[in-house]
Amino acid sequence: MTTQHHSHLEDEEVPITFAVEGVVADDMPAEQFVTRKTLGWGFWVSIGWLVAIITAALLAPVLPIPDPGVDLSSDVGLREPPSTEAWFGTDALGRDVFSRVIWGARISLTVGFAAVAFGMVFGGSLGMLSGFLRGWFDSLTGFLFLTLLSFPALILAILMTSLLDRTLFTICVVLGVLGVAPVGRLSRAATIQFAEREFVTAAHTIGAKRGRILIRELLPNVVIPMGALALLGMAVAIVAEGGLAFLGLSVEGDTITWGKMIADGSDRREIEDAPWVAFFPITFLFLTVLALNFAGDKVREYFDVKEISV
Amino acid sequence: MSEITIEAVPERSADPNAPLLEVTDYRVGFKTERGLAKAVDGVTFRLARGRTLGIVGESGSGKSVLNRSIMGLVVSSNQIEEGSITFDGTEIVDTDRQPFWGNRMSMIFQDPMTSLNPVMKVGKQIGEPLKLHLGMDKKQARERATELLTQVGIPEPTRRLDQYPHELSGGMRQRVMIAIALAGEPDFLVADEPTTALDVTVQKYILDLLGELQRDREMAMTLITHDLGVARGRTDDLLVMYGGRVMEQAPTEVLFSAMRHPYSEALLESIPTLDHPKHTRLNPIPGSPPDIVSPPPGCRFAPRCRYAQDRCATDLPELVSDGNHHYACFYPVGTEAGAEALQTNIERGQTAVGLRVSAEGRLG
Amino acid sequence: MTLARQLALRLGLFILLLLAVSMITFGAMNLLGDPLFNILGPISGCEDAISESGESVTVESSDGLAQNCGPDQIQAVQDAKEQYYLDKSLPERYVRWLGDAVQGDFGTSFANQGESVTNIVRDKLPVSLLLMVMAQTIAVVIAIPWGVWAASRAGKASDRVSTIGSFGLVSMPNFALGIILYYVLIVRLGWFPFRYEDDDLWSRINSLFVPAITLALPISAVYQRLLRTDLITTLQDDFILMARSKGVPRRSVLFKHALRPSMFSFITVFGINAGALIGGTLVIERIFQIPGAGSEIVTAVFREDFPVVLAFVVIITAGFVLLNILVDLLYSILDPRVRT
Repeated sequence: MTTQHHSHLEDEEVPITFAVEGVVADDMPAEQFVTRKTLGWGFWVSIGWLVAIITAALLAPVLPIPDPGVDLSSDVGLREPPSTEAWFGTDALGRDVFSRVIWGARISLTVGFAAVAFGMVFGGSLGMLSGFLRGWFDSLTGFLFLTLLSFPALILAILMTSLLDRTLFTICVVLGVLGVAPVGRLSRAATIQFAEREFVTAAHTIGAKRGRILIRELLPNVVIPMGALALLGMAVAIVAEGGLAFLGLSVEGDTITWGKMIADGSDRREIEDAPWVAFFPITFLFLTVLALNFAGDKVREYFDVKEISV
Repeated sequence: MSEITIEAVPERSADPNAPLLEVTDYRVGFKTERGLAKAVDGVTFRLARGRTLGIVGESGSGKSVLNRSIMGLVVSSNQIEEGSITFDGTEIVDTDRQPFWGNRMSMIFQDPMTSLNPVMKVGKQIGEPLKLHLGMDKKQARERATELLTQVGIPEPTRRLDQYPHELSGGMRQRVMIAIALAGEPDFLVADEPTTALDVTVQKYILDLLGELQRDREMAMTLITHDLGVARGRTDDLLVMYGGRVMEQAPTEVLFSAMRHPYSEALLESIPTLDHPKHTRLNPIPGSPPDIVSPPPGCRFAPRCRYAQDRCATDLPELVSDGNHHYACFYPVGTEAGAEALQTNIERGQTAVGLRVSAEGRLG
Repeated sequence: MTLARQLALRLGLFILLLLAVSMITFGAMNLLGDPLFNILGPISGCEDAISESGESVTVESSDGLAQNCGPDQIQAVQDAKEQYYLDKSLPERYVRWLGDAVQGDFGTSFANQGESVTNIVRDKLPVSLLLMVMAQTIAVVIAIPWGVWAASRAGKASDRVSTIGSFGLVSMPNFALGIILYYVLIVRLGWFPFRYEDDDLWSRINSLFVPAITLALPISAVYQRLLRTDLITTLQDDFILMARSKGVPRRSVLFKHALRPSMFSFITVFGINAGALIGGTLVIERIFQIPGAGSEIVTAVFREDFPVVLAFVVIITAGFVLLNILVDLLYSILDPRVRT
């Protein structure tokens, strides 16, 4: 799971004086230089969307929506456009698209969350350990990370999903594994950076054991940049699931994911006859990823996480 | 800022004695969240060809903004320019001065390491103004660049043309910068703290070089510095700025021999010289520059002045003229009023603003 | 350390990585899959069938159906095992594969009656390469002017709009974008062909155009953002002011002075991005039905056609690592300060 994008928004607050024409001399009032670090309304809108979609997903079983697997062709019809009876229309098997989008959210969001959690836990701890212990362990994990990173991400995912049973669990693990290397390198770099700081030396000198230092001093500090990237990571994982679904390699069976819905709805005939079948999951996917990206970027900017040099 | 652009660079005016640069009540302000920041608040001077004006003050005094604004380099949508500047007879306030840059007016900067393009060869950087303003082709530009490098005193000039800035020493980089600035043969040069970032031993050579080049080319020059010692002997006239306002203005020797403003005096005293006994404490002026958005009423320097009296905190002193010597102070140095003021402060142990004054008259 | 030494170390690492990658892939596929089954189908169940009398024996094969195992079938099994070295140990098989691969022979496909994998690669890979090159080129061609434009208007309304646009492009998954563009440009407007046309270079480029822009747009948004950020920072440097004060016109300042030192983040991402690009290509080839390496890998994976999968994985990975090495080299060429 290579971080597919680095979106930098810190320049939104760059004061207008920094346009091409001029540079501000050093005897200028200091206000001009301050980049306001607030989360902004866009952040809260994004969070709002995410909360809404998560809530809807959690409440899916109790919401008054039709069963997503049920054929409604007798009531509504096959491939019917959106109407008051079926807000997002029906698909080729007569199923209600709106309901399927909500149920699909359950899986897609779960995958996103679980994959990131897996990556953070395993990648993060491996990275921290190697950054802390250095030596042969560090070289070994370094080579492991490098090997993992040498595989173009989707190819690794394809390899793994083709060889394993494709359950929700394994898909989450596969996507999580994609994240282990990038997260690992970042946490290693962060650990090294912090470990060199004085508060760690200070802890040493008062006799703290290494394990203690690792957990009490370093972990809280490393968690911050990691956490800031969690939102961005989720976006990548959800998109990756979509890509896998598209290739037919996502969760098997009747499980509904946005990726699978898009895949089903996007062959030529479907697109021409019933574009809404693909359109709505695409929209939801897009908005969710957009919200995750935007919020994640704001968080990153807020905590001032730069690309830590690896 | 208005869109007036000067179409063609005006011809050099016929009269060689007319001042090249006439600045009259020039003001520069910046709109900020808190209000208008008056970075330059009423500066007037004249500069003729071949003459050097030194502009002295601490950081925050407005000296850099003044010069960059004269050049027209600080341009932003929240900048306001008022007053008048005529360059060789043409009014340039509130205009786009791009047509002048490089060929009529030019600038050298404080830090040669950051002022030269790190990924461009030295020769190419010198060549740019040559091609732009003197219409040279590649070969001619190379030859001329070599000549220029020789003029600024760089050994093995041909070799240097193909080097990058980081391959040269600090002093050499500054010379290169001078060569670049003079390549277009400007009539007016702004030298913004040209030696501050350099080693003390190198400073003298650079300043000598500048003086020489100026004489040869009959350029007008403003030399900006925070060090009065540098200004002495290298400038014809001096302008002392503080908080955006002119504190004292006079021909250099007059200023040194008959210094009137307490700030000038303080600046002079803060220069460490070889005369001081070893291990003397450096004597910087305590306090910091004023807030230029909402400055305190009264004289800007009052909060740090050892002569300060009650009046200084409430009334703003205007420039008083004594021939071509101008100063803005109610209790000038070297006058009876000034001596009395200092005595008063010594006796009561503090200035009107509450700064402690020692028995010898020192602050703090 | 000198450039040559650096290069030598990088190449050494490169070889090690390739070995690791190929070992992992080979091992995983052979351990977790069933090569014999993939080659022969249900007949593979006859492997263990021994009949003393030489008569047909019925065996239940791995898909639960009854399979007749007469002497012919057993012979087929033994032939396959010989041809594919399946009775040798795993490490030995790997070494054999490696030996052949290094000489350019990637073995024979399990399906397609044993077609040469090398031929398959030779047919399919260039198509994907063309697509990727087109995508990167288009992305760079879009990103540079866009980034410069955005940097020169930093903070203004048009810049904010551009930022939102960038974000949108980056958040749109490429398969979704592909579907949309496919629908609009090919199905509805009919400007580009439905199928991949192989007549000459031009028709190939034409067929690949829509897939290429699908890949290029999100990438260009990323590049453009990075370029813009770096440009804004660079434009605050003193040497820009100096260049202006020399009389260099604004446009020249942007392109001749500011651009080059600002390209670093962008170039770094260029290398990393190749990985994402490869992934994207796989999916896009499916949507647009392009017979390239991506389609081939996916099909091979479904068939569990190990030699094909292995060959493509190793070659693509090799290309990816090599590209990163080249990017590092490019870095040091662009910034003379790094060279010494």
